[in-house]
Amino acid sequence: MILQTLDALDPEVFAERTGWHAKPEGMCSGEVCVPAPGALRADSTLDVALAARHLGMPVIHDETHGVWAIGPATTNGHALTTAVAADPVLATRDGQLFRLSSLLGRKVLLVAWSSY
Amino acid sequence: MAVWIDEQGTIVRPAESAGIERSPLRDMEVPDGLPERIDRMFREVKKIPDDAENYRAAIVDWVEHGAASSFVLSPDEVVSRSLPRGDDEARAAACFELGEYLRRTAATPVLGQAAAVPWWREAHRLYPSNWTYKRQAWTLVTTPEGATENDLMQGPNDVYEGNWLDDVIAGGGGEAYTVVARL
Repeated sequence: MILQTLDALDPEVFAERTGWHAKPEGMCSGEVCVPAPGALRADSTLDVALAARHLGMPVIHDETHGVWAIGPATTNGHALTTAVAADPVLATRDGQLFRLSSLLGRKVLLVAWSSY
Repeated sequence: MAVWIDEQGTIVRPAESAGIERSPLRDMEVPDGLPERIDRMFREVKKIPDDAENYRAAIVDWVEHGAASSFVLSPDEVVSRSLPRGDDEARAAACFELGEYLRRTAATPVLGQAAAVPWWREAHRLYPSNWTYKRQAWTLVTTPEGATENDLMQGPNDVYEGNWLDDVIAGGGGEAYTVVARL
């Protein structure tokens, strides 16, 4: 996830881009919740650095260009913490937005290939 | 790479090497007289494991039998079989994404490439077995300007330490290039 600042972030934006939702019990993805005291501020914004620390997400800063990159969570040593599929919103070839969950009720074979 | 997701939105097989058709590269005849480097590359490519027929059969089995298919994994198996991710792998992902962002948003391609290279080099250092990070970076420096197709040779260059052939050989040869899906 690329950010221009680590200041207050809308938790919904964080959830959309990482799959981790800020809830009273902590940061949650699927059925997995990681306690994250202080991450959700009183003004309902997210302390990104604190949330990232609780989730084991590396925070990389490019000072020259003034941007931050937040890496994926490392809570269990695996790429997945849950078998609940993420729900990314992707662009179709004609520019329409497509949400993976629109295929609920059907089997999905998600294939990725490289362009190099 | 493929991921299987069932009707309830549950992953039943995590990301894994996936093919449904045997690559003709595995059975190609390497002609005599090729330049040494190309000859060696072709011979390593021929060694890359290819289990496409079995993988296609597994997909068909899942389609026909659903949750009763023997290829469907439990949620715990899905998590435990997903790729390892420690701090180095996570940092590499952040570095790669940062480089990609800087390259894409720079004022000019030259500036973008210059901004991306240090982060991609760091991603390579942190996660040397990740072919995506390396091949994407290599091809951007070895493909001639104006070319209509990417350079798949990804040979030695003066921007990155590695290149396709030498890294494949150092990693155990074509046999070790792909991890065949555990069906």
